[in-house]
Amino acid sequence: MNKTINQKAWFFVIPVFILVAFNAAIPLMTVVNYSFQETFGNNVFAWEGTRWFKQILLSERFHAALARQIAFTFIILLIQIPLGIGIALTMPKKGWGVPVCLILMSMPLLIPWNVVGAMWNIFALPDIGFLGHSLNGLGFDYNFTQQPGDAWFTTILMDVWHWTSLVVLLSYAGLNSIQPAYYQAAEIDGASRWAIFRYIELPKMKKVLTLAILLRFMDSFMIYTEPFVLTGGGPGNTTAFLSIDLVKMALGQFDLGPAAAMSLIYFFIVLLVCWVFYNLMMKNEAQS
Amino acid sequence: MIFKKLQASTTSGWEQVGKTKEKGFFDFDLFSWMAWTWQTAAFFIFIALCITVMLIWEKKVPGGSPRKGILGLDTTRGDRLFVSLLGSAFIHLAWLGLVGSLLWIASIICVAYFVVVFKYV
Repeated sequence: MNKTINQKAWFFVIPVFILVAFNAAIPLMTVVNYSFQETFGNNVFAWEGTRWFKQILLSERFHAALARQIAFTFIILLIQIPLGIGIALTMPKKGWGVPVCLILMSMPLLIPWNVVGAMWNIFALPDIGFLGHSLNGLGFDYNFTQQPGDAWFTTILMDVWHWTSLVVLLSYAGLNSIQPAYYQAAEIDGASRWAIFRYIELPKMKKVLTLAILLRFMDSFMIYTEPFVLTGGGPGNTTAFLSIDLVKMALGQFDLGPAAAMSLIYFFIVLLVCWVFYNLMMKNEAQS
Repeated sequence: MIFKKLQASTTSGWEQVGKTKEKGFFDFDLFSWMAWTWQTAAFFIFIALCITVMLIWEKKVPGGSPRKGILGLDTTRGDRLFVSLLGSAFIHLAWLGLVGSLLWIASIICVAYFVVVFKYV
């Protein structure tokens, strides 16, 4: 049977094409244009060449923001991935506990970012917040609005609270897709609980865990709203992650040129990491 | 309006600040906020040309010539273009950060990098 070739369906892509042009391509092109120029507004621009890129690449402020960002992402991955796997392992496999656990787990994921920030801000306030007041009552000198260490602790705790569930749900799905035959074989061989985890569950979860790490990496690397509402990047600049610093530069200082250059560098880093993870996932796919 | 901007940005940038612009026939304000310059326009035309060349190449030799390159990755022509472009961005940034001047040398390195990526990756 001969299939008729009909390319008219491509016309159906046009609306999406226009949408992407307006919400992605045109703004991105504009950022590229801005990154080579200086402006004080009123649509008057002056060519500056690669000056902003040089300035950003050599600026200590950018290095510090990047270092904070990498540290933050690394710490939350280090906590959330093992914690998520651990919770998924202890969740019930059948019975009434399953829906209860799943609903409890998905609840933090449903709360909007800015609400999470506001909740944790009030929760952690040292004078009236439950967490802050209790910690101070227990004798800890806790004040996330003034002490950098406390600000970091609160930001990380908030992110762990908000996003560990995602890792849990993904790992749980991965665990549930393992055939019972594997467990039976392990039982016959007299494998220990650790051996079952190491040689059956972990390899079988590899795909979902790669996805979980990618999602958590991207989300935390581009985190803005939660720390912005919680600490506003403070005290000082100690929790000003890349996107917070970027917004400060672009909208606070109206340095559109340097901010555009910084956002392009930021974009390239994100793109590189995405590409690496994409290839890792494709490799996993090919192996299984 | 693109060419009007070009003049404004290259010849007399700062003298324009705070002055009302004279409006030419094509100088409507729909796109002036995009701040086009010929350099950035040339860059995007280059990208568009790359994609067009890929389209023609794909018409001539369909299938994207997939292979396993030296990185151990399954790549097609599109992947190789992406790796080339992203790598070039990082080469230029590294040059700007470490050397700072004579950026065209980085561009020459990038051409060599393009060739290597399309041959071996």
